Amino acid sequence: MSADELRAPGRTTSVVDDIDRGVLARVADGELDALSELYDRYRTMAYSIALRVTGDATLAEDVLQEAFLGAWRHAGRYVAGKGSVKTWLLAIVHHRAIDAVRRRRPSTALPEREDAPPPALTIPDLWGEVSAHLDAATVRAALAELPDAQREAIELAYFGGLTQQEIAARTGAPLGTVKGRMRLALVAMRRRLLELGGEP
Amino acid sequence: MSGARLTCDEVRELAAPFVLGSLEAEEEAAVREHLRGCVEAHEEYAELGSVAAALPLAVELVEPPESLKARILEAAAADREAAAARRREGSPDDRDIPPATLVPLAPVPRGLVSDAAPRRTGPVLAWAMRAAAVVAIVALAGWNLLLQGELSAEEAYSRDVAAVLDVAAQRGAVTAVLAPAEAGGPRGLAAIGPDGRMGLALRDLAPTSGDQVYEAWVIVGDAAPRPLGGFTVGGSGTGALAASGLPADPGVALAITLEPGPGASTPTLPILALGAAAAPPGSEAAALLATVTP
Repeated sequence: MSADELRAPGRTTSVVDDIDRGVLARVADGELDALSELYDRYRTMAYSIALRVTGDATLAEDVLQEAFLGAWRHAGRYVAGKGSVKTWLLAIVHHRAIDAVRRRRPSTALPEREDAPPPALTIPDLWGEVSAHLDAATVRAALAELPDAQREAIELAYFGGLTQQEIAARTGAPLGTVKGRMRLALVAMRRRLLELGGEP
Repeated sequence: MSGARLTCDEVRELAAPFVLGSLEAEEEAAVREHLRGCVEAHEEYAELGSVAAALPLAVELVEPPESLKARILEAAAADREAAAARRREGSPDDRDIPPATLVPLAPVPRGLVSDAAPRRTGPVLAWAMRAAAVVAIVALAGWNLLLQGELSAEEAYSRDVAAVLDVAAQRGAVTAVLAPAEAGGPRGLAAIGPDGRMGLALRDLAPTSGDQVYEAWVIVGDAAPRPLGGFTVGGSGTGALAASGLPADPGVALAITLEPGPGASTPTLPILALGAAAAPPGSEAAALLATVTP
């Protein structure tokens, strides 16, 4: 996720996106090697999200297995041109992780690049190792700048897997306030990410 | 929310919790339903969703254990084998059929409906396409943003049940309610059409792990249970299976077991859910009506 991605509707796809789509197309054709490649490309980020949300290494492994098997079976449903494979994949991981933590709660219903493009065509892979760290700092900074209550709402929801009702119960805030905090937090983060990402 | 239709204002209000994955399953399904049919762009979903898509970057990076890759690839290979076996038996391939375990929703420009370009042709195609056609895709305005999600468990189960009911609606079909052997266990519905095709939808299934698969069995009379095919289950807790070559006879029993791997020839006990086929209510009247209707 870059400032450009946040800003520009017409942004052309990156070389990395194109490679990912090629890999995913092979996954859709049932090539295990392609699944292996996809795993290698996003295993770290995927596992990190799963681990952060579940807080349990075993559960995080199960989440990854479910997510990659889901991608294996349904790669054909990925709609090329509408977004990056990594966002698609990581969204699956996040949803799986949330499902996993909610199943544990009775109260709730429930960068490694293997195929680098030629240098002349290389554009920053914002999810690659180095850029990811830079962007991680940016996103963390944007999070850190939020008022405490807003940051808490984001963290409990996205990283904690809590429903808005559960957040309201935990924080003692009315449901409408919780929703408002989430929205304000996302709007503020969006504005800040654009500012930070736009800096040279 | 209880199934009530949402207004545009309500949907706007739910955008932030939606993109953060913080809605109850029922609420999320209601939002998706609204977005499918709404003429408004609801651009707030794309705007807020772009921020949610950046949140993974805030996570401390941790390498998964090295063994996990082999485990995933083995599970995928087993899945491919099981699908190939079902194709050989003339059953639809669950790599083509939305099997309820995971159906990512890809937001695309309004009007575009699912996706899932079938990779295989033949008799399976019509079934698969019909099944895929019910997977509606949420249309969210957006550029290069995939606010992806999964069908909620409710949606997945509803879709699978709808497929079963299509089978059950045929004259001469029989249906079976699969009841859990233990309280809280899996339950569901199956139907066998007069052409021998079976549809099965189950919920409340514990997710499979490793090579595990749920296997469906048919028991005709005193004959030994015959495997119908296996399927894995993810976070939704729902599963579906299609098979062919079954007798559409009342009394035919269907059973579900959890097997350590695909390809079991005898069931591993315990049986988790069981049901006997019966002619659906009203079928006698329908048959009678058929005899007197020109």
